[in-house]
Amino acid sequence: MAESNTVVIIGGGFSGLTAAVEAAEAEKDVIVIEKNPYLGGRVAQLNKYFWKLCPPTCGLEIQFKRIKNNAGVKIYTLAEVQDIKGEEGNFDVSVKVNPRYVNEKCVACDACAQACPSYRDNTFNFGMDKTKAAYLPFNQAFPMQYVIDRNSCAPNCKACADACKYNAIDLSMKPETINIKAGAVIMAMGWNPYDASKIDNLSFGKVQNVITNMMMERLSAPNGPTQGKIIRPSDGKEVKNIAFVQCAGSRDENHLPFCSYICCLASLKQAMYVREQYPDSKVRIFYIDLRTPGLYEHRFLKKAMDDPDITLTKGKVAGINEDPETKDVIVEVEDIFSGSKTKLKFDMVVLATGMEPATKTFQTIKNVSYTSDGFVDTGAKKGIYPVGTLKNPVDVVRSAQDATSAVIKGIQSLRRI
Amino acid sequence: MEKKYGVYICKGCGIGEGVNIEKLANNVKGMVCKTHDILCSPEGINLIKEDMKNEGVNAITIAACSPRVKTEEFDFPGALIERVNLREFVVWSHEPNNEETQSLAEDYLLMGIEKIKKGDLPEPNILQDLSSTILVIGGGVSGMNAAIEAANAGYKVVLVEKEAQLGGFANRLYKKIPTGEYFNKPLIVDTDIDKLIKEVESHPDIKVYKSSKIEKTEGQPGLYDVTVSTNGGSETIKIGAIVLATGWKPYDATKLDYLGYGKSQNVVTNIEFEEIAKKGNGKILRPSDGKEAKKVAFIQCAGQRDQNHLPYCSSMCCATSLKQARYVRQNNKDAVAMVLYKDIRTPGRLELYYKEAQNDPGVMLTKAEIKGVSDAGNGNLFIEAENTLLGEKIKLEADMVVLAAGMIPTTREPQEYLDGLTLAGTKGDEAKAKYIEETPKPEFILNLSYRQGPEIPSLEGAYGFADSNFICFPYETRRTGIYAAGGVRRPMDMSEAQDDAAGAAFKAIQCIDHVSRGVAVHPRAWDITFPDPLLIRCTSCKRCTEECPFGAIDEDEKGTPFYKINRCRRCGTCMGACPERIVSFKDYSVDIIGSMIKTIESPDEETIRIIALVCENDAYPALDTAALQRKKIDPAVRFIPLRCLGGMNLVWIADALSRGLDGVLLLGCKFGENYQCHFVKGSELANYRFGKVGETLNKLQLEAERVQLMQVAIAEYDKLPDMINEYVERVKEIGPNPFKGF
Amino acid sequence: MAEQVISPDLKFVEDVIASGGGDLKKCYQCATCTVVCNVTPDNKPFPRKEMIYAQWGIKDKLISNPDIWLCHQCSDCTAYCPRGAKPGEVLGAVRKLAIQHYSPTPLSKMVGDPKYLLILFAIPVLLFLSYIVPKGYLDFSAIPRGEDGGIVYSKFMPVFPQIDVTFGAAAFFAVVCFVLGIKRYWTDMNKGVSAQGNIADSIKATISEILAHKRFEKCNVTKDRKTAHLLVFYAFIGLAITTTLAIVYLYGFHYESPYPLYDPLKLIGNISALALLYGITSVTGNRLKNAEKAGKGSYFDWLFITVIYAIVVTGILSELLRLANIALLAYPIYFAHLVFVFFLFAYAPFSKMAHMVYRATAIVFAKHTGRDK
Repeated sequence: MAESNTVVIIGGGFSGLTAAVEAAEAEKDVIVIEKNPYLGGRVAQLNKYFWKLCPPTCGLEIQFKRIKNNAGVKIYTLAEVQDIKGEEGNFDVSVKVNPRYVNEKCVACDACAQACPSYRDNTFNFGMDKTKAAYLPFNQAFPMQYVIDRNSCAPNCKACADACKYNAIDLSMKPETINIKAGAVIMAMGWNPYDASKIDNLSFGKVQNVITNMMMERLSAPNGPTQGKIIRPSDGKEVKNIAFVQCAGSRDENHLPFCSYICCLASLKQAMYVREQYPDSKVRIFYIDLRTPGLYEHRFLKKAMDDPDITLTKGKVAGINEDPETKDVIVEVEDIFSGSKTKLKFDMVVLATGMEPATKTFQTIKNVSYTSDGFVDTGAKKGIYPVGTLKNPVDVVRSAQDATSAVIKGIQSLRRI
Repeated sequence: MEKKYGVYICKGCGIGEGVNIEKLANNVKGMVCKTHDILCSPEGINLIKEDMKNEGVNAITIAACSPRVKTEEFDFPGALIERVNLREFVVWSHEPNNEETQSLAEDYLLMGIEKIKKGDLPEPNILQDLSSTILVIGGGVSGMNAAIEAANAGYKVVLVEKEAQLGGFANRLYKKIPTGEYFNKPLIVDTDIDKLIKEVESHPDIKVYKSSKIEKTEGQPGLYDVTVSTNGGSETIKIGAIVLATGWKPYDATKLDYLGYGKSQNVVTNIEFEEIAKKGNGKILRPSDGKEAKKVAFIQCAGQRDQNHLPYCSSMCCATSLKQARYVRQNNKDAVAMVLYKDIRTPGRLELYYKEAQNDPGVMLTKAEIKGVSDAGNGNLFIEAENTLLGEKIKLEADMVVLAAGMIPTTREPQEYLDGLTLAGTKGDEAKAKYIEETPKPEFILNLSYRQGPEIPSLEGAYGFADSNFICFPYETRRTGIYAAGGVRRPMDMSEAQDDAAGAAFKAIQCIDHVSRGVAVHPRAWDITFPDPLLIRCTSCKRCTEECPFGAIDEDEKGTPFYKINRCRRCGTCMGACPERIVSFKDYSVDIIGSMIKTIESPDEETIRIIALVCENDAYPALDTAALQRKKIDPAVRFIPLRCLGGMNLVWIADALSRGLDGVLLLGCKFGENYQCHFVKGSELANYRFGKVGETLNKLQLEAERVQLMQVAIAEYDKLPDMINEYVERVKEIGPNPFKGF
Repeated sequence: MAEQVISPDLKFVEDVIASGGGDLKKCYQCATCTVVCNVTPDNKPFPRKEMIYAQWGIKDKLISNPDIWLCHQCSDCTAYCPRGAKPGEVLGAVRKLAIQHYSPTPLSKMVGDPKYLLILFAIPVLLFLSYIVPKGYLDFSAIPRGEDGGIVYSKFMPVFPQIDVTFGAAAFFAVVCFVLGIKRYWTDMNKGVSAQGNIADSIKATISEILAHKRFEKCNVTKDRKTAHLLVFYAFIGLAITTTLAIVYLYGFHYESPYPLYDPLKLIGNISALALLYGITSVTGNRLKNAEKAGKGSYFDWLFITVIYAIVVTGILSELLRLANIALLAYPIYFAHLVFVFFLFAYAPFSKMAHMVYRATAIVFAKHTGRDK
């Protein structure tokens, strides 16, 4: 048997959480290393899931409940793996844990945030609004514990600590390095949205009312920067005429050579957000191929197609400009079936940007090899198992599925040695 | 258990400022009652621990924050604990220092104390002689992988395959698509199915039954008796959990005559094309005359994405046709493969496969709507298409046509038969008998001896796939201990099926582990309570056996229920269904909730009091979140969490209203096609029962609007307070319940 | 709309691939190319549709299609193509095949295929050798000199009849081939299309457009191409003027070369030569610089560029060596110069040189049919 009965799971997004609770419920000791101050990863940022249009927090709530009821799961937030040494059954994982400056005594009363004089860009909302430097990542965060962004603090300020009645703030916290013995490691670091500003012809960052699909999720979410009201950045106008630009960066050798899988379904879903919020709205989706493979997925496409105010046009948008007066967005596209090249105006444009595996940039773990596009090679080293979007762009269902299947591999590792 | 009560009230987080704590504490009679400034602080926790040690306190009511937070702090093993949510449900969502707020806090505290008085510490119900053997049904790629994974994880496996040999569809394939990076790699590789078959057959922990079927599956997880019949003989095996990996069948191509199938021998399905390639060892010799095919048209989505045939996408056909285009081209540099698609669906990194596969002079693709396939003489065919990239209306000639026909799960036919049977049953015994007589009975797979039927129940709109339509929990089925994997679960390709099988095998292992500890499986995977019906009072009304979303309850001819505890998910739907109130868990029963409701009284004849029964998984967290944002809710409402709204018993409503409470609000998850209930049917069943509430109200001569059911998602915390407040306003308009004071 | 019978022509696909459209089959029809193209009309824009025709080998829809010539190979499409299918290069390849298609002599095949390069050069080499070998001019000292003892190329290779007849015949051959080719092309283009307006106006508009090189201005990725191409273009015009003047001098005024450097003919000629040198160097430099984004170009392209390069370099060297009186090098270089010039003109209808004629014709047609606004 392995020297350690512990499975280390790197990443506390949906894949990592799934692997964690599944393994813990099979009586394994689990340690989750999460770099954010909260769990849930990308799905926590989503307003709703396709195709059920149900909120991700619903599933997260169950996962968190499973964690709360299982002593076998230990979580480190604000933590990053620095190195993994050793072999299957006997890994040494060294982890840097960054200070939260708030301990577990925090009750989430908000007094610190109220006292805090400094603001920071709200990264959870992709910078579309600000939070105080003492903040709760979002209103259904787990752990339900505030964080202090020391980089955004005013010099020598300790207003938060003074305001806290619960002794929960410790501004003297230092980064720590911890070492964990593990029998198996599951890599579940997930993905990052592709940097849309690299796609120069789509003008993200240059035209104000061009946003990404992940921003659209935040814009539609009740805990987003606009409390779920879909309004455009330039002037807060209600977005009633919107275009979705598919394959913004995906299926493109100059950017992401693979298909990001989720973007077609995500845009259809977001089209429905708009249609639900503004019954008099019009939505146009420009695509190369509509990729909704499967059963419910295809039904979801059908649902969108049945809405006369959602128009699906074959033809990739390859140019975006701004009407300087109205701040409307002008997209340039060839409508392949009508056979004409046109310029069309919209209130706002959403770029269906794709997913870049976290391992495109984070390759600290040397025990495995990486493909040219940044994924983890599936023939990874024994005892270390990449899951979900580290192997292939997939949605939540497939991430959960893959994470579950990785657990059995982990169990095999624990008993093999 | 001899209970020694202790009540601990926290004054922190604004509770002390919003509520008169002293007055609140005065409600606690005859038990230890202490307050603390910050109960979750080490000092506060210590206060409780000291009482446990010194006073023997073992039934603890903690009146502080939501039970969803500070779970680690307020964890006292061996003690019965009740959390009273004064913070979120009282001070954070109501005006401070207000009479109504004070009354609310007092009611919550009294309800909590009542609950702990009635409840008891649970002990797990661990059944004896449990088996940890895993049964895998289906010996294709999914089944074999499930078997190997489970066996390598240390479990004995029984693999049952209906054919004479293992391998399933993979046996019929000429080649497969490689995995990993596609650049500079061959586009087609050997399936290596023989190696996999050998691995399975030679594995010491896998016992393979070929040419075999499941005759009967009796029992429950850990205690299944599965009868396997092989060539007339049969054997009963003890099984712990089951992986259903019976895969799929190709869609019946004879229904695709408009695409020329059946009219020309040279129109074949994608599976038949594999067989042709395999037979010719790579040479494509067309069926009509054995001539080598040099112009092959692939019609994608043949009978798919089509309401008249399969309204879904089988997801693997695009990549399959690209692979088969390679077959056409590999030995014949003059040959042409024409792929006519609706959309090329090669998601993820398969995109790179698409690129490599199309980068061949003889592979030609266009989007097209196929209008028909007709005879072009000499065995050749004309394909007519519209809206193509080559022109609005085009005609192509091919010497062979391959239809990318879709997948049908093997579970579909039995399910359709059973659905028909249920439907016939609703029309009376005669119609049912007629149906049984006239309808050909398909081959069943599981042959469960369950009261609710022999197979996994079909989900609305799942077209027979054994999928639960949970985004977050893909392996859930409505038959505990039975996990579907591969093509039977949803359309998927071979490499995905491989991983999927591993996941299902793991869930089977986990289920075996849980039943061995007497713990429920997902979603209450920590719960050791179990329903313990007082059968002596059972009237055999069969409501529980019919309603249980997981088919956990069997019955004898008289209708007496038999709980198969290892199938139970502890949702309490049976408890809600039972008109005799006989289903109880140690800490959750009709009596417990009923008694909690009974503690609530209106202070006078004018003051409105409403109880809200809320789903603890979604509505409850939504209320917490609304409170975190300090959204105000009318103080007339008292929330009582239920494990699932499916546990809602009508008797509570009747009791509450007859005792003078002014309204009952039910907050459950969304139901229907895109249901959000973690117990699949709970909220839907609550709604069904809610439909009968009218009778009770009529009897009491009360207005129907007093009782309302709302479907709430966890993320609707922004709307929920308004929804509730509007409802309270409506009740206020109706006026106080005339039964008040009786 | 009538039903079209589509028969994919694998051979044509392979030809396009072999002619520089090697990545053709990677196209997945997203239409990025048409959107980023600034020279395409909005109605039925190119090059997306050309890509699918080429993928299926639908030769008819490509060869006679004026759109392939409206493309100026800015390579914006190639730079932005998400699949690396290089539409710019594919259209270049199709243009090569169009030139070959409309110039139906075996030469058309040979010019596009490196296999035949030696044979093609052998023709002028042998031809010119046949003039000088009998005279024993392989021994350079046997070549008569001018009055001042300087090198006089016309004494090495007489203007009449050797040079003028040879080049006259070559030019005649080229013109005939062009006329025949353009005639067939024009007929093909006109099938099913109705013309609008006055042809003379269309021609006039085309000429003014070409003179101004307006279309090149619309290129993004290869912005710098305009100047380079413009220089080459006007250098050729300059050299044409020089040649015309030389004919006038010789046959009109019986004024024989060499001419002094201050002579207008010489001035125009030398300035044009320098412009050509600069222009073609820029063309080459741009191509190399943009290769990653715009594609490396085909044999067909590079042969053309190389020949022009060779002409201008040998031309300038001939003059310099003559002035420096270095006979050992001057004669061979001049000989080479003649060979390259012959190559350029005699094979013009089959080489990339033909683009000027086909493109001009296509633009005229496009203007005439309202395709080009």
